[in-house]
Amino acid sequence: MKTIKFKLLTMFLIAPLFVLAQESPTEILNVKLAKTPIEFIQARNQLERLSLTTTQNWHTYYYLAYCDIQLSFMLPIKEDKIRYLTNAENYLKMLSDIKEVDPSELNTLKGFRLYAMIASDPQTNGPKYCGEITMYYEKALQMNANNPRAILLLALFKNDMANFMHQKYENLANDLDKAAKLLANEEITSIKPTWGKEWIERGQKGK
Amino acid sequence: MKQILLLFLLLIGITVTAQQHTIKGKVVDEHTHPLSYANIFIKGTTEGTSSDSEGNFALTTSKKGEITLCILMLGYSEYNKTISTSSSELLLIKMKPNNIALDNVVVTAGNFRLKGNSQWGGATAVDLVTSGGSTGDLYRSLQALPGVQVVGESGKLFIRGGNSSESQTYIDEMHVLSPYTTSGQNETVRSRYSPFMFEGINFSTGGYSSEYAQGLSSVLPLSTKDNSPITKIGINPSTVGLAGGGTKAFDNGSVSLNLDYQNLGPYHAIVPDNITWIRPYQLFSGGSQLRFNIDKRTIFKTYIGYDRTSLAQKLTSLQDYSIRDFDLKEDNLYLNSTLQKETAKGYKLFAGAAFSYKNQHIDNAITINDQCAEKEWEVHLKTKASKRINDFIRLTLGAENFSRYYQTSYTDNKNTRSGTINHSISGAFATANLNITNNLSSELSSRIEYTNLNQSWNYAPRLALMYNLDGIHFSGIVGRYMQLPENRYLILNKLLSSENCLHYIAGIYYEKMNKVYRIEAYYKKYSNLALQNTYAVASDGYGYSKGVDVFFNDKSLFKNFEYILSYSLNLSKRKYQDYTELSIPQFATKHNAALSLKYTVPALKSILGITNRVASGRPYHDPTKEGIMNATTSYYNSLDLSLTYLATKRLLIYASANNILNRTNIYNYVFNKDGGSVGGYRSSPVTASSNSFFYIGFFITLSGKTAYDVSNF
Repeated sequence: MKTIKFKLLTMFLIAPLFVLAQESPTEILNVKLAKTPIEFIQARNQLERLSLTTTQNWHTYYYLAYCDIQLSFMLPIKEDKIRYLTNAENYLKMLSDIKEVDPSELNTLKGFRLYAMIASDPQTNGPKYCGEITMYYEKALQMNANNPRAILLLALFKNDMANFMHQKYENLANDLDKAAKLLANEEITSIKPTWGKEWIERGQKGK
Repeated sequence: MKQILLLFLLLIGITVTAQQHTIKGKVVDEHTHPLSYANIFIKGTTEGTSSDSEGNFALTTSKKGEITLCILMLGYSEYNKTISTSSSELLLIKMKPNNIALDNVVVTAGNFRLKGNSQWGGATAVDLVTSGGSTGDLYRSLQALPGVQVVGESGKLFIRGGNSSESQTYIDEMHVLSPYTTSGQNETVRSRYSPFMFEGINFSTGGYSSEYAQGLSSVLPLSTKDNSPITKIGINPSTVGLAGGGTKAFDNGSVSLNLDYQNLGPYHAIVPDNITWIRPYQLFSGGSQLRFNIDKRTIFKTYIGYDRTSLAQKLTSLQDYSIRDFDLKEDNLYLNSTLQKETAKGYKLFAGAAFSYKNQHIDNAITINDQCAEKEWEVHLKTKASKRINDFIRLTLGAENFSRYYQTSYTDNKNTRSGTINHSISGAFATANLNITNNLSSELSSRIEYTNLNQSWNYAPRLALMYNLDGIHFSGIVGRYMQLPENRYLILNKLLSSENCLHYIAGIYYEKMNKVYRIEAYYKKYSNLALQNTYAVASDGYGYSKGVDVFFNDKSLFKNFEYILSYSLNLSKRKYQDYTELSIPQFATKHNAALSLKYTVPALKSILGITNRVASGRPYHDPTKEGIMNATTSYYNSLDLSLTYLATKRLLIYASANNILNRTNIYNYVFNKDGGSVGGYRSSPVTASSNSFFYIGFFITLSGKTAYDVSNF
């Protein structure tokens, strides 16, 4: 009887940990809350440490790749951008090998990385990757038409292309609204990807 | 109940009694510069911290005794150190560049990585083609680089005093027997392959790896795309013809096709040249490539390209003023298949096979009613394996075989002469890339070859050293290279030795703030060159070529503007082929310089390229004067333009013009052979068939997802 009670108590103590596991671990939450390059680096370092301790689910590598892409936008030195984007590519390759990965989110992140590549060197990488970016976002939307990040990033990219051609992407406002509504329904505490709100602001400036 | 109490007591006890230890230190790179935001943690745990902007860190832990401190930083090898948590020692952690960084050392003398094989290569095909006057041609684009000599009537690559036959082109590491198109008399040839096919272009003007065979002067390894993930279709009408094709992408690969028909008849009707055409230059070509990812680490690629060239023109003999109908037809086929695999253990394996075939027939080639035919093929098989053993050494081992066949025949009114060569070259090569210190690296390679035609073994060692002094790269190379003589000499004497060339190169490279500075000095010593005496050909020729190449690229002068300045000094002399005395070869120019300007105008969605090439006069032999190669032509100058305009998302217009000042550049003078006895010598200048060339192309993307994509591959 005593043994049963002990086991019950132990389960009672451990149960909250399982509940918490459905939500975002601190390391992922820190990535979601990061705003500055230092916060992103510290969050990715935490996440990297986590990734080396146990077998990970896809979210860990997803957020590592996301951090590296974000850092490439923020860091001023080209060599650093290159280093982070190359590392992000490695994480994306690892993600592609994980069966459980959300394919729509994976394709969005692949497109987002190419977007960062273009931002790092528009003259060289613009002509090289503009077709591939669209392909990844469209693939993402085929898999999940309500992926707010794919809707948002595709709209931004189409708008950038239109600007380059001295034109306007007419559907930008609609796409941004749709993405904003979908993003508003996402919980930051969820382990799932929820980023994108900051890009809505950027898109609204480009309207 | 006691057990429950014990559990709580233990938990409380641990919390209360845990003693905190702080591990302090500094993370620096190999030059002791601080590394900020390195990831410092206790291995096997998530306990860790990041270094600050000065590289300092303080890691607090409750762990006791020995722990393994691990430091990770992008671009550096993982650092591990076992320490005691109670130690108060201030740690100094020196990180070393990792294997990826070590493998990316590409700054070696003689090497221009125009488009890197990685995504971080400096320039794209668009960059190459948008340089002034490139006319969309790969070889023409390279001619603004130092070390490349202007041989305007040819269009082929002549590098650092070497003949064009001494430059070899490789596609996906496999040899291409005839990379140039065929043309009529004094018309420039072009590359058979569009620059847009390639993702990597590594042009080496000397001192290249021993992996590349049968090239005395330079190699041009080209890499096709490993994947082309977008399905696309495009057409390209231009002033010279019509091309079109596309790519079908699928889950594990893609297949591309391109068809091209060129006819210079309409062009010459508007812009006449100095040739009377019977049948205009026509080229029909088709190319297809399959890329297939067998698994995530294995890529199979196969390329097939076929083209047929046809032209007929009226040519006048300098001997007797007779006019003949020069009529040329040529078929060319190139097939190339490669398999690349990277194993989980880090071995990079490669196997490839290539087949080149050329069949040329000319009527009235030299005199009226003669016939000249050439048939040639080559099978190239190659395999290699490469592995980084540790931070110190990467090893590459490989073997290859070339099987070659060459047949020529010449028939005139009197008789027929013909000859055949059938032979093979087998070789093995090994390369060791050594990272001796953080600043000093070395590449030691060697090649051994057996040529069955003359039943001889040849050995070619090479040593390259690179030293990095705070971003200034010093490099030096000594290497031996060998190549069988040209077929026209081998057919006369099959026992000719392989021609040899020793390269000595020293260079300095510096890159900072969007500026690239590069200077190289070289000395090339030729031996065993084919030398034609009155009665026979022997391997008694020799010669040298020495000079300095200077390159400066500045992208920082003002926004969207870039300029490249290159200069080459070349002094070369040879006693070879029909040069019976040590003389300056007819193709060699002492001074070559080019200034390329490129300006991107975003408001006009345009890129404007201007290139001016200047070269000193070419030597030639004037029989009315004493000695040989005793005269010099006037200098060469060509001002070239190109304009790339993105008209719409799906339409790119590209225009290019060479020699817009319409200067008549003279490359040589030819004399009638019997001038000494009959009425004196008559000379005729050798010029290009037209002073200028204009090209306007419309690249139309028809498929849905791509924009300004000029490549169908």
